[in-house]
Amino acid sequence: MKNKTLRFIFLTPVIIYTFCLIVLPLLYILTISFFKSDFYGGMIYDFTLENYKELFNFVYLRIFVNSILIALVTTLICILISYPFVLAISHKSKKIQQIIMTLVMVPFLTNSLIRMYGWIVLLRKSGAINELLLNFNIIDNPLSLMYNNIGIIIGMVYTFIPFMILPLYNSVSNIDKYTLEAASDLGASKIKRFLNIILPQTLSGLFNGAIMVFTPALGCFFIIDILGGGKVMILGNLIKNQFLTARNWPFGAAISVFLILLTTILILIYKKIGGKMDDLGGI
Amino acid sequence: MKNNKIIDNLCIFLVFSFLFLPILVIILFSFNTSSLNIVFEGFTFDWYKELFNNKTLLEALYNTLIVAFVSTIISTIIGTISAYALKKYNFPFKNIILELLYIPIVIPEIVLGISLLAIYTLFKLELGLFTLILAHICFSIPFVIINVRSVLDNMDPNIEKAASDLGASKLKTFFYVVIPTILPGILSGAQLALTLSLDDVVISYFTAGPGSNTLPLHVYSIIKTGVTPDVNALITIMLLFVFVILTISTIINLKRLRRM
Amino acid sequence: MKKFLIILFVILCTGCNNNQEQLNILNWSSYIPDSVIRNFEKETGIKVNYSTYSSNEELLAKVSNAKEGTYDLIFPSDYMIEIMKNRGLLEKLDKSKLTNINNLNSNYLNLDYDLNNEYSLPFIAASTVISVNKEKIKDEIVSYNDLLNSDYKDEIVLIDDQRIIIGMALLANGFDMNSTNKDELEIAEDWLLKLKPNLKAYDSDSPKNFLIFEEASIAVLWNAEGAIAKEENDNIENIFPKEGFALSIDNFAILKNSNNQDEAYKFIDYILRPEIMKEIINSYPYKNVNKETDKMLDDNYLNNDAANISDETLKNGIFVKNIGENIKLYDRIWANIK
Repeated sequence: MKNKTLRFIFLTPVIIYTFCLIVLPLLYILTISFFKSDFYGGMIYDFTLENYKELFNFVYLRIFVNSILIALVTTLICILISYPFVLAISHKSKKIQQIIMTLVMVPFLTNSLIRMYGWIVLLRKSGAINELLLNFNIIDNPLSLMYNNIGIIIGMVYTFIPFMILPLYNSVSNIDKYTLEAASDLGASKIKRFLNIILPQTLSGLFNGAIMVFTPALGCFFIIDILGGGKVMILGNLIKNQFLTARNWPFGAAISVFLILLTTILILIYKKIGGKMDDLGGI
Repeated sequence: MKNNKIIDNLCIFLVFSFLFLPILVIILFSFNTSSLNIVFEGFTFDWYKELFNNKTLLEALYNTLIVAFVSTIISTIIGTISAYALKKYNFPFKNIILELLYIPIVIPEIVLGISLLAIYTLFKLELGLFTLILAHICFSIPFVIINVRSVLDNMDPNIEKAASDLGASKLKTFFYVVIPTILPGILSGAQLALTLSLDDVVISYFTAGPGSNTLPLHVYSIIKTGVTPDVNALITIMLLFVFVILTISTIINLKRLRRM
Repeated sequence: MKKFLIILFVILCTGCNNNQEQLNILNWSSYIPDSVIRNFEKETGIKVNYSTYSSNEELLAKVSNAKEGTYDLIFPSDYMIEIMKNRGLLEKLDKSKLTNINNLNSNYLNLDYDLNNEYSLPFIAASTVISVNKEKIKDEIVSYNDLLNSDYKDEIVLIDDQRIIIGMALLANGFDMNSTNKDELEIAEDWLLKLKPNLKAYDSDSPKNFLIFEEASIAVLWNAEGAIAKEENDNIENIFPKEGFALSIDNFAILKNSNNQDEAYKFIDYILRPEIMKEIINSYPYKNVNKETDKMLDDNYLNNDAANISDETLKNGIFVKNIGENIKLYDRIWANIK
């Protein structure tokens, strides 16, 4: 076979793929975000900025702030759990590290919705956690652990935490052990060691995790639906409603464009601090 | 120093209980005689038999497996070829394509889901298994490419050269020399694609149609009305399966580690 | 490699090339028990693909998003029949294909959303109702305004349906349930915001679970859900508030250019059989519209005031109406109160 034909055969799939399944759909979303919507689901092919203006309506601004807050808190809690955990593992032998990291992945290889259901069973008023607390007389009345922000955050953290643990673990295991030992020999305190050696060396791993937790958390409608009781809205639900209930595609598209922009900004910051794009997909 | 170890172990223990608690609940209730998932009333294996009478559930499982395997195979093939081509050849707009490939990885799934739905509607594609598989291929390919590329980058370029010096055609070199060398990357990419596909909710939610209900979508539709223990039973079986595979691969990995 | 591709090809063929007779049904969640569908499949050999939705608006969106012919049989409520009919989404019914059509109660036929039942036939009737756990809530509840009591923090569950809930707020303030008057809607919006601290959740799929598991003590839900909650828990009482309540007739309708119309007629005719309708009513005790089924209903159903709503009570029911473009006002309020 001629070299040129081979080149053609090898390159065609990726070009077709990029164009048809990435560029085209996103361009189309961008286009319809400038259309008008008729009141029952159709689109009027007429240029307008109305959908973007609507984004700044107080009603929707509140939802933006709300989703960003929820995603931020989720990311923060993921970091607070993952750091000590990853550092604790890194003190173990290589063999044990490998076993622990494999075990960490096990829950995430099962159906994520059934795991949410597991949380419902645990968190509801007649659930295991409340029963336990009531039996030990720690509380007198069952606590409301779901259908509120507590439930949402638990669900979010639980779903996205592997995306934080994995990159952090990778970057922590790349830290030069000798530097750490030298520092502790020289009498650096734990906090100092963390701030001066561990944190800077794991920064890109940390930001990698933060992106992989923060962005899906903005769009993950099913956790909010299930554990939030349908009374909290985030960007994901808002988009879903525009497409599947309110029949306003152009507005839904405009919110999506906003989300794409937000993601792009985060990625640019990540690149700026020296993060590698390939690490984002190296789960 | 001993103190540190206790803190370490406590920390690991706490995170593990957080990770495994909901799963243990699911496993526990798959053996429960009551169907309500509230209190454990008695031990039974009945739900494991019952499971095979639940046609909706089995159909969802069947669809999930079909979609996962087909999309994994196709995206692994395309991903591998593409990773190789992107490394080997230069062409106009290559850098742009390289950047665009990250989009499915980083943008929120819901955006990918609705934009695929919009395109399907535009081209009047009937929502069903085909559109679902296409969507899964869409988000899997970049993961395969990245995994294959990381192995390709470490491949000794002389191997290919040696093969062609010995008279092997380019195509032959690719199949008999390159592929075996980068196989670990291909397999880890395929594994990732499979995992992502098996558990995808958000993108499937928008791209599935009648008759292409998958297991995650099925669970989503019954989660509020109440999940019956036969679903727990199915999940337990699948978990066992995953666990066996992981144990085998960990043992292999540990052996390799020891050899190093 | 070749073997691989062949296997792949075989899988694809078995997956996509189904020549078996099929029927794609899109229906409300918690509406028809699985056994009824399985029995139909066994009887006719037709494979039923069953998907669900939880509001009329979601149904409309699903139907308009999908290519024509994706779904065959749907179950829209009265006002949605009118909307879909006007948009040309529905197929005219050929009633000669239905042998059991005479079983239908004529009270529910020939109503103004579809005169002469050209496009739709009634399946069941439903109303909203307030279900209260009397063990937890001692006060008497007779009006929607009683729900504003600050003692009920986190105790109330509402159906996740904008027309019904905003309509409820309008009724509570003495307005028409289908009002499109901006001032009235604003008052309704404020009322809902006042109610918000008392809300536990919005759920259309199975609000009864909140009462059964004692997660909440009050719910505004569809009557069958309330009726089941009462069966499961003796402390539950169902109340039809004095301001009135939403009434809805859900209908069979066949989508335009459906590929499986014969199968759809077979299914409708099957459901119209008295004993099949009875099985459905027993699982989901809505108001029955089949007069032959009426003769065979169990005491359990007849004595449950939320299931078998008396004609006297029904007079207070109000239909949701098609409000055209004004739906945008409702959309905005809905986003704001959530």
